[in-house]
Amino acid sequence: MLIREIISYLLMGAGGVFAIITVIGLIRFPDVYIRIHAAAVVLTISAVLVTFGVAVYVWELFLSTKIILIGLFFLISNPMATHSIARSSYQQKVALPRVRSVDEYADYLERGEK
Amino acid sequence: MIKKIFTFVSFLIVWLIFAGRSSLDVIVVGIAASLLTTVLFGDMLYQRIEQRIGLLGALRKGLLTFLFIPVFFYEAVISALKVSKHVFEKSPSFSPGIVKVKTKLNNVSAITVLANLITLTPGTLTIDFDRAERAYYIHWIDVNTREEAEARKAIIARFERWLGVIYK
Repeated sequence: MLIREIISYLLMGAGGVFAIITVIGLIRFPDVYIRIHAAAVVLTISAVLVTFGVAVYVWELFLSTKIILIGLFFLISNPMATHSIARSSYQQKVALPRVRSVDEYADYLERGEK
Repeated sequence: MIKKIFTFVSFLIVWLIFAGRSSLDVIVVGIAASLLTTVLFGDMLYQRIEQRIGLLGALRKGLLTFLFIPVFFYEAVISALKVSKHVFEKSPSFSPGIVKVKTKLNNVSAITVLANLITLTPGTLTIDFDRAERAYYIHWIDVNTREEAEARKAIIARFERWLGVIYK
């Protein structure tokens, strides 16, 4: 077995493990916004690791560059989508937690509506 | 004009990477498509490139951005590990809250990249950005420090220095 294949299998396996961890976190965490945390960080890294593993596995110049570009787009676009989901679900008052230690965003929204 | 040419060339490079081969018909179609896209949407990208010092500044910025990608990736992996640790706690309990953190950056791209970095840092999630006060609203899993200076140090000070150097 080539050492390249071993590296690619390691990367793809790590990505799969992170994806499973994301699902467990989505089930176990108590609240919408904390679940979004799990989805944002861990799922991004899982997708990027899988794309990098595929890029190492294929190992052609143009094809690998294309796959790595897709991975970088993931790294940029997934946090933006997550931010958008969190913001709109806060503004539509979806499942706001009753007890919070500090919330300065509510003041901002009230100011904006005036 | 420089802006349009730069946009056109970068579109063409991306097209060639995605096409995967460089025969004549691919290049002709790519030039046509990039020209059309540049004419239609060229003004939206690279908004302030005329104000910079020119080619050398652009090269320096590109190199620094290229160097910054590994740092970005490393931080993301570390934060994924930290959130994974939270997943396997016996009873995950948090004290969530939304804090307001001011920033010193004023470049639009720098603000966007910093928002992404905050989201990828463990325990923090950017919710909104206030243009008037230049402040992020950040959802935080564990609010330990009410002091704004400490919160700022804990979240964004590391990345702000990088981005301040890149987007000067």
